[in-house]
Amino acid sequence: MIVPYALEISVVCVGIFLLMVDAFLKTDKTTIAWTGVVVLLAIFGLTFALGPMPKGVIPEAFYVLDPTALFFKRFLLLATVLTLILSIDYSPVYQKFVPAAVPQAGLGEFFTLPVFACAGMMFMVSANDFIMIFVALELVTITFYVLVASMRKNQGSLEAGVKYLILGALSTGFLVYGITWLYGITGYTSLDGIQSVLPRVPEQYQPSVLFGLGLVLVALGFKVAAVPFQFWVPDVYQGAPTPVTAYLSVASKAAGFVVLLRVLEPFVTTPTFQVKVFGILTILAAVTLILGNLAAMSQQNLKRLLAYSSIAHAGYLLVAVASLSAPGAKVAIGFYLGGYLLMTFLAFLVLLNVAKVSGGDDIRDFNGLGKRSPVLALALLISMLSLAGLPFTIGFLGKFFIFEAALASGQYVLVVLGAITVACGFYYYLKVVMAMYWQPPAPSATNIQVSPFGQFLIALLVLAIIIFGIFPQPILGALTHL
Amino acid sequence: MTLTLGHFLLVSGLLFALGLAGVMLRRNIIVIFMCLEMMLNAANLSLVAFSRFRPPIDGMPDYNAQILVFFIITVAAAEVAVGLAIIVALFRAKQTVHVEDLNSLKF
Repeated sequence: MIVPYALEISVVCVGIFLLMVDAFLKTDKTTIAWTGVVVLLAIFGLTFALGPMPKGVIPEAFYVLDPTALFFKRFLLLATVLTLILSIDYSPVYQKFVPAAVPQAGLGEFFTLPVFACAGMMFMVSANDFIMIFVALELVTITFYVLVASMRKNQGSLEAGVKYLILGALSTGFLVYGITWLYGITGYTSLDGIQSVLPRVPEQYQPSVLFGLGLVLVALGFKVAAVPFQFWVPDVYQGAPTPVTAYLSVASKAAGFVVLLRVLEPFVTTPTFQVKVFGILTILAAVTLILGNLAAMSQQNLKRLLAYSSIAHAGYLLVAVASLSAPGAKVAIGFYLGGYLLMTFLAFLVLLNVAKVSGGDDIRDFNGLGKRSPVLALALLISMLSLAGLPFTIGFLGKFFIFEAALASGQYVLVVLGAITVACGFYYYLKVVMAMYWQPPAPSATNIQVSPFGQFLIALLVLAIIIFGIFPQPILGALTHL
Repeated sequence: MTLTLGHFLLVSGLLFALGLAGVMLRRNIIVIFMCLEMMLNAANLSLVAFSRFRPPIDGMPDYNAQILVFFIITVAAAEVAVGLAIIVALFRAKQTVHVEDLNSLKF
């Protein structure tokens, strides 16, 4: 039995240890990433041996361990492991764009920084106090600034880094100013404290509370890529190194949603604020659904298409957030994000392997992939069908649970809107499938070989998408029990 | 005239609005970055003011917000360190720090 926060502490220690190894290691740097993978998997194993929170050392007001937090800690550890594996695949491309005095310069940091981001996000999903939320969020954001901009000889990466830096810092400004006002009115930085005071806030101060909450929502909207705070997403996703894009779109979004749920909890359970907060969330969900899906339809670059699809998925998740009054909404969000992890990493794994050979990530680079590499084409086919939400995949069940929760809480408009946008989704996801199977390959295109380990990973992800799409019980169980 | 909480909040609101306007309107990334720091300091000012003007509990003022201010200052310093490094790298690659010139990522 180990104390719960030993998980985060050990992840931070792993990060520091890997940095030390990087300083002294003279041979192949991919050893660092493999060590990280093995140790993080060991820590993943430790999550099944957690004891209860000890009393008095770190108060519950700062750090909570509930089924949601534990599920997302496992989720984030797995996402980090997958990111490290993608990074190993990506390292030849990465090295081309980093000024190197010695061979493999910069690779050590590229493999280590995701570990620190993982620690920050694991703190985020347990944070129950605005001080903790702020510090954990910044640990993640600053790490991502470095990761996004790390290909210093690639103008796209640098531009993406600067855009992410400016907009991320702007959202930080909104977050702290929002926290200020929430603290000023309620007198607490902890969410439990705010919850206890909120029903007694006098009427003349209620607009100030809503103002503070609105600013915090703007900041979290940036993190989860909700419209109208999504404008950084396409550029940053396209410019960042591909493993970082995958990590950003899965892990950072998931951690953002967990914080969003925790911050909203006091407000949606207080009758005086409930109606207004749900109103704001409904509008956010509706515009995110519409804009994300419509903008994705005209994209020609697969990374940009996945960026807009990531906005669209944030829209479906916001539908569940706007239906928080239904009992199944929280579980639906966890399940959807779990599925999103599998589908997105599968898509990026294929994208990375194809882009390495074709030299680009436009959709036309995937022309004739069905002939050039049947394995990759089949994997991308399943990932796209699952992202679109075809039955017998995990993507379908995720959308099903979300719409079920939305119906239970009476959000009929959002359900209709969701159903229409799912149809749009089929259009742009199938565009990729059409390119793979119906378009002839470019004359210069060569066949693509995948390493045995890559094939094993692809098979694992494909199987998980289909198995959990038919038997969702293991994930649902993990979301409801410690 | 005595200073009240309102005065502090007014100044901090002005600082925040100025910072936000700067981020929206200015075209030089370094100036934008300075404006972002101003927004964080606006929050610091009002946090300290809110904490100072809160009635003390058992004779002790509420220090939570003031602790948060120290965290914000530290994090802002880290952000500047990373941010300026990225801006310098951008300048080396493109010889410019103007937002109009950041246009290689387009669909």
